[in-house]
Amino acid sequence: MDINLRSEGNVTILDLQGNLTIGAAEESLRQRVEQLLATDKKHLLVNLANVPMIDSSGIGSLVKSFTNAKNQGGKVKLLKPTRLAKQLLSITGLLSVFETFDDEATAVASF
Amino acid sequence: MQSTACLHVTDSFGIRRTVPLLKPVFTIGRKVESDLHIMSTTVSRDHGEIVCEQGIYYLVDKGSKSGVFINGQRVERTALSNLDRITLGGADEYQIQFIVNDQSDQLSSTDGLASGEMNLAATAKEKLKNLARYVEINQAFKFSLAPDDVLTLVVDAAIELAGAERGLIMLKGDGEGLAFKVARDNRRNNVEQRDFALSTRVVREVLAENRTVILNTTPANDQQMQSVYNLSLQTVICIPLHQFQMQATVGVTSMLQRKLLGILYLDSRRQTGHLSQTNSRLLDSLAFEASKALENARLLHEEQEKQRLEREFEMAQSVQVALLPTSDSTPQSKYFELAAQSLPCRYVGGDFYDLMALQNGGTVLTLCDVSGKGISAALLASVAQGVIEAQFYAGASPAGVATTLNRVVVNRSDANRFITMFCSVLGDDGNFSWVNAGHNPSILARQTGEIEMLSTNSLVLGAFDFAEYCVTNTRLLPGDVVFIFSDGVTEATNGSDQMFGDQRLQDLVRRNKDRSAQEIKDLVMSEVLAFTSGEPQGDDITVVVLKMK
Repeated sequence: MDINLRSEGNVTILDLQGNLTIGAAEESLRQRVEQLLATDKKHLLVNLANVPMIDSSGIGSLVKSFTNAKNQGGKVKLLKPTRLAKQLLSITGLLSVFETFDDEATAVASF
Repeated sequence: MQSTACLHVTDSFGIRRTVPLLKPVFTIGRKVESDLHIMSTTVSRDHGEIVCEQGIYYLVDKGSKSGVFINGQRVERTALSNLDRITLGGADEYQIQFIVNDQSDQLSSTDGLASGEMNLAATAKEKLKNLARYVEINQAFKFSLAPDDVLTLVVDAAIELAGAERGLIMLKGDGEGLAFKVARDNRRNNVEQRDFALSTRVVREVLAENRTVILNTTPANDQQMQSVYNLSLQTVICIPLHQFQMQATVGVTSMLQRKLLGILYLDSRRQTGHLSQTNSRLLDSLAFEASKALENARLLHEEQEKQRLEREFEMAQSVQVALLPTSDSTPQSKYFELAAQSLPCRYVGGDFYDLMALQNGGTVLTLCDVSGKGISAALLASVAQGVIEAQFYAGASPAGVATTLNRVVVNRSDANRFITMFCSVLGDDGNFSWVNAGHNPSILARQTGEIEMLSTNSLVLGAFDFAEYCVTNTRLLPGDVVFIFSDGVTEATNGSDQMFGDQRLQDLVRRNKDRSAQEIKDLVMSEVLAFTSGEPQGDDITVVVLKMK
């Protein structure tokens, strides 16, 4: 999985490309978020538009990132989850925790 | 007259030795403790023995598969005469001669001297090849052969071949330096490391230049060879040992890479003798075959380590299986049937279920899925299973169990792991109270044909300390089926990357709701396995089926 970074004002957008599943992918998302938080980038928007598959470990990396950010006074929000991702977030109760957006401008403005 | 007897043994490496027959019963076999240990895969562990009774030695077959022979004749128990040739079926490469009341030392030493230099070099190569081959055979048959045993074999062979007095092997460890491994003398005794004064200068030179160094010193005229001189050594041969690895390079070609493994160091105090005259071709083959033997031993050791880990996994698996309810401990009732199964995709998994009867009435049905796979998931699963059981025995409701377990996992686990759980209690009156903590919806197939999905979109366990859970009550009626499962069922994937899916599962359960719990469970399991048809199982698969009578 590739992660590309973009900045919109004080928001860092992480464009994910590929499956967010057990192993390297979830690991790299978690690490990347930790690096960003360490460099004082605390408003993170994870773009899931190009993530066809998420498994429970992938969800785990989102949860860990969310918790890390929260503990450091930051925020992780989600952009354009696919139908499958939305379903998974819904079943696991995480839609009630993660702020989720389908429109990037709205998402950026919400921080 | 008390006779003295011995065996002249020429082993599979072509190495000849004299073994005295000192015990009344002298055992021969593949077993390491045998008085004559035969290193051959086709010899029985207890192959035969030589028994001494009133001065007469008998060769006895101990029920070996391939028999014992005297001068080519198979025997069961026959008295041995001087110079009889003993053969063991399956180990023809061993030449054993029985000698009684003679001058065996003379015989063997004249024999040894008779072989000339050329001859020695030629047979030496053969012997070394045998050594490497022996380790290969052991590897093939997965016999246990400790690396140190191989080192000893290599040093002994090298001492004999080069005609050295002593030899040792040092190998590179994890760090930079060399670690002493084994030192032997030409009588096949172990030599203490401290007794083995090494010429550090020679070792340094070998390591620096990565080539064999031969040093002949004469005390009178060589001032530069101080350390060697001080050790009063006359000849030293130090050979680098290598590990050969096929290494892929850019493109398709691969290259044989040489990595320094350690050194083989031989010395002799005699000024003349085999050692100084040993030809360079012999040393080359010595270095190569010794390296190969060590490499084979290393591979064998790795293989054994792998097998040991596999045994550990198998034990872990049986522990985890034992934690699940057995058919005997599964609650029985005239009002309902239960059936359940869990198939981990590795030895152990993060899925588990529990079925238990509560003392004050009611039956617990729980299914949990720890995120991740394998051992790490299984460890957390075990903790969770313990917490759930203890909470229920303490009288907690499914919601209380979920809240407690959530807190335990939040506090005691790294934050990217979580647990999804379907946890329920079936009352004797048919009231089914359940909590779904982030788990995929369980299927309630009503007797009427309706399907209800048991989900409240509550948070997974172990992610957030603020998560709260509440119980939902559903009344179950005769003929209703509750199908609880992990996502390994619906996400089971076939060769065309299609998933088994929720719809297929719901249809299957609805169509078969009139069958027994056991039949429904078996049917779903076999449908899922048929669907994936041989594709590797990607996730743990677990189902619990409740059928109301």
